[in-house]
Parts: sequence; structure tokens; C-alpha cells
Amino acid sequence: MTAPSPTMRTALGFTGAILFIAIWHLAAASTGATGPLDVLRAGFGRGDAGDVLTHAALSMRRVLGGFAIGAGVGVTLGILTGWLPRLGAVLRAPIELLRPIPPLAWIPLAILWFGIGEGSKLYIVFLGAFFPVFTITYSAMAVLDPIYLRVGRSLGLNGARLLTRVAVPAILPDIVLSLRIALTYSFAAMVASELIAANAGLGFMILDARERGEFALMLFGVLMIGALAILSDTVLRLIFARPLARAAR
Amino acid sequence: MKSTPPSIEGRRRLSPFWLQVITIGVLVILWEIAGRTGLILAYKYSYPSDVLLALYDLVVDGFPNGVRAFGHVEATFTRIILGFLLASICAIPLGLLLGRLPFVLAMVDPLITFARSMAVISLLPLAIALFGVGETARVALIFYACFWIVLSNAIQGAAQVDPLLLNVGRSLGLTRFQLFARVFLPAALPMIFAGMRVAVGMAFMVIVAVEMVGTVEGLGALISQARTFYRTPIAISGMVLIGLVGFLIAVGMAFLERWLMPWSRSQERKS
Repeated sequence: MTAPSPTMRTALGFTGAILFIAIWHLAAASTGATGPLDVLRAGFGRGDAGDVLTHAALSMRRVLGGFAIGAGVGVTLGILTGWLPRLGAVLRAPIELLRPIPPLAWIPLAILWFGIGEGSKLYIVFLGAFFPVFTITYSAMAVLDPIYLRVGRSLGLNGARLLTRVAVPAILPDIVLSLRIALTYSFAAMVASELIAANAGLGFMILDARERGEFALMLFGVLMIGALAILSDTVLRLIFARPLARAAR
Repeated sequence: MKSTPPSIEGRRRLSPFWLQVITIGVLVILWEIAGRTGLILAYKYSYPSDVLLALYDLVVDGFPNGVRAFGHVEATFTRIILGFLLASICAIPLGLLLGRLPFVLAMVDPLITFARSMAVISLLPLAIALFGVGETARVALIFYACFWIVLSNAIQGAAQVDPLLLNVGRSLGLTRFQLFARVFLPAALPMIFAGMRVAVGMAFMVIVAVEMVGTVEGLGALISQARTFYRTPIAISGMVLIGLVGFLIAVGMAFLERWLMPWSRSQERKS
């Protein structure tokens, strides 16, 4: 049994995807169910196509806003708690206590605290991004090989420079991994908060399409969220490709 | 928790563990004082003693419609276990098979990646449209959430089985079934189990949101209903219960893994 080459794999992958869409199309055409063309038409081929883009833009703003804040705070606190053990113990206590609560379980309280506007959605996405980033960054700092630090010190690095020149590059792969996980969670948090209380955004659009019985539009929304999630992940990987390569040296 | 290096500054300073206990204690007391003196709005943020009372009420009288705490936990648990088990039963054999068929795998790989990275909760309206507002839709979503994660790990597990192990088994004269049950499965199992652990975590996250729509039973329904009636202490008690159940599930899975696979190393990984 030989494994297919990378080129072969890509070709097979394309074939598989096209085959799937073709089978879906044929099956839908013969039974009258919703086919791939219906889905595209529902999304793009109508007068209110701009509507879909408005919903998508709003959802992306929520995801990226909450993700940026959550990841920023998560990385900062994760590094800080790993670097300063005593302050870290104090900061970690409440965070570890809240960590088992899934971000989506905060939705009711968030609505109560921040209303049904942008505030509550931003808060939920923030939580979705913060916990994985903080947890992974902290544990990477905690298991960081002391050899790195000793070498850094003997080269005359101290304090902040030791942190930014040695420790942070050493844990960068873990940070990037945590950011990718956090991005997935951010999308889940965005959709959930939009399903439960919103009057715009892709999550709302899906729910609204269901209430109006527009199955194709609903499917379009679902696929669009998936596509946006994959696109964002790819962009994130591209952004960090170069720093990661540099840190690996 | 990581072991702390011996402190140079002397041993009179508090250990990190006690620092943490004191931190939590101080925060709880501050929250109580702030809530009681009206520094923070009690109807929005509640305070610890009020939450404890609500938790007691929840266990004894129940909320809403008299559904008690245990009833909510049971409802949530049943949904997770049903969806999770069904997904595992389907995904593990399929994944093991796909892992041994590299050409077929290459063809379905993009589909699996896409299906896996889709936000599960966005499928909630779809599931409701297909199955109606009921248990089927909820379990179907849990199934979906778990299926792709277990599937991709089963594929990886099967693909990574060392061919040397299989050759050794063959030269020892094992039958095909023995080879599968004694060599192949144990070698792939740690990877599969790692996937199952992630899947349960994902299921737990999804179920809470799923239960906020169209039901009054389950932990998600509990906190959502509590918000509707402005019963903040009940909502917070519900979150405490959710955190507790989530924690217990994680601990239970870790135990199960150690018991099933004493040879596995995956519990040493960072969670």
C-alpha cells in the first residue's frame, strides 16, 4: 500500500469535492430537494444580495473584535502568570475557577449585564478566545525548558529582554496553536450569541431564514460561516508563518 | 500544577496554593460586601450567599416548572451521552477503515476538513427544520459535533499504526481478527481516545447553547429561563452546576483512559 504523493492528494481532494457537489446536484435535481445551485442562488442571485454581505460583515466584526481582545489579554496574562510565579498564582486562581464554564453558558448573564447589543456578543466571543489562549500560553511558559533561560542569562540577557528575546520566541508555536483554537471558539461563540439574541449577523440570518421557510438561504448561511472560519484560519496561519520560521531558528 | 522551585527568599512566604485559596476567599467576600451594600446592582450581579440560597432552592424545589437541579443535570447528561456514543459507534469503524485506504481518504479529506471546521451551533436552525424542535434535533447536533472530531482522530490513529507491529503480528501467525483486535486496535486506541475526549468537551460546549432554544429541561435551559425571569442567582447557580459537571466529565474521561489503556501516554499531554 503506497501513500499518494502531495500533488496526487490535492488532485484527489478536488475530485472528491467536485464529485460530492455533482452527486448532491443530481440527487437534488431528481428528488426536488435543495441543490447546490439553489443554495448559491439564495445567497447571491437575489435583489438583497447586499443583505447577506451586511450580515457577514457584522458577524466578522464581532468575531475579529472579540478575538483580538480575548487573544491579546490571554497572551499577555498567560506570559505574565508564567513569568512571575507568585503574581501568577494569584491571577490564575479566579481564571482556573471560571474555566470549566463553557463561554456559551455566559450568554444569559451577558445579556443581563450588557443588554442585547454589541456588548454582550463581544463579551461572549472574548471569553471564547481568552480561555484557550490563556491556558495554552500559561502551560507553555510553565514547562519552558529552564536551559533556554540559563543560556539567555549567561549571554547577559535579563528581565524584559530575556522574556522577549528568549521565552516568547520559545513558546511562539504554542501561542499560534492556541490562537487557531481560539479562532474556532470565537466563531462558535459568535454564532451562538447571534442565534440567541440578535437582529443582524449571519447567525440571525440563518434563524430568520428558517422562520421564513427559506431552506436554501439557511444552508447558504451555514456554509458561509464555515467558509469564513476556514478563510480566517488560513489568514492567521499566513500571518504567523514567517515569525514561526524565524523563532524556530 | 507545576512544582515550585525552592524559594531563595526564605520559607516564611505563603505557598502558591494558599495564595490562591486566599485570593478566592477575598474575591468572594468582596463580591458579598459589594452586593449587600448596593455597590453593584444585586439583581444584575447577585452575591455569594444569595447564590447559595438559590442553589439550595434549585436542589429542593426546582426551577422552572419544578424541574430540580438533578433533573437538569440528567437531561443534559443524557443528550451528551446519546449523541457522543452514537457518533463514536459510527465514526470509529469508519475512521479506522479510511485510515487504511489512503486514496479514498485523499478524496474525502477536504469534505471532512470542511465539515469539521463548521460552527456546529450554526446547524441548530437546520436541525430544527429537519427534525422539529425536540430531542432528535438536539442529539443530532451533539452527534455532528462529536462525529467529525472522533472520525479524524480515528483516521490518524489507523494511519499511524507502525507497519512493523503488524508484520510482527503476522509472522507470529495471528489470524486477521487477532491481528486487528490484539495489535491494530490497541495501537490506534490512544489517538482515538484523545479525539473522544476533545469530542466530549465540544459536546458539552454545544449542548448548553442548544438547550437555550425550545426546552425547559437541561442546564442550558435552566440558565436561559433564569435570565428571562430576572433570577440572576439561579442563573449563576446553573453556571456553577455546568462548571461542576464539565469538570467531572473531564476527570471521568481521564480515569477511563488510564483504566482502558494503561500503556497510553496521551494523558501526559497538555490538556
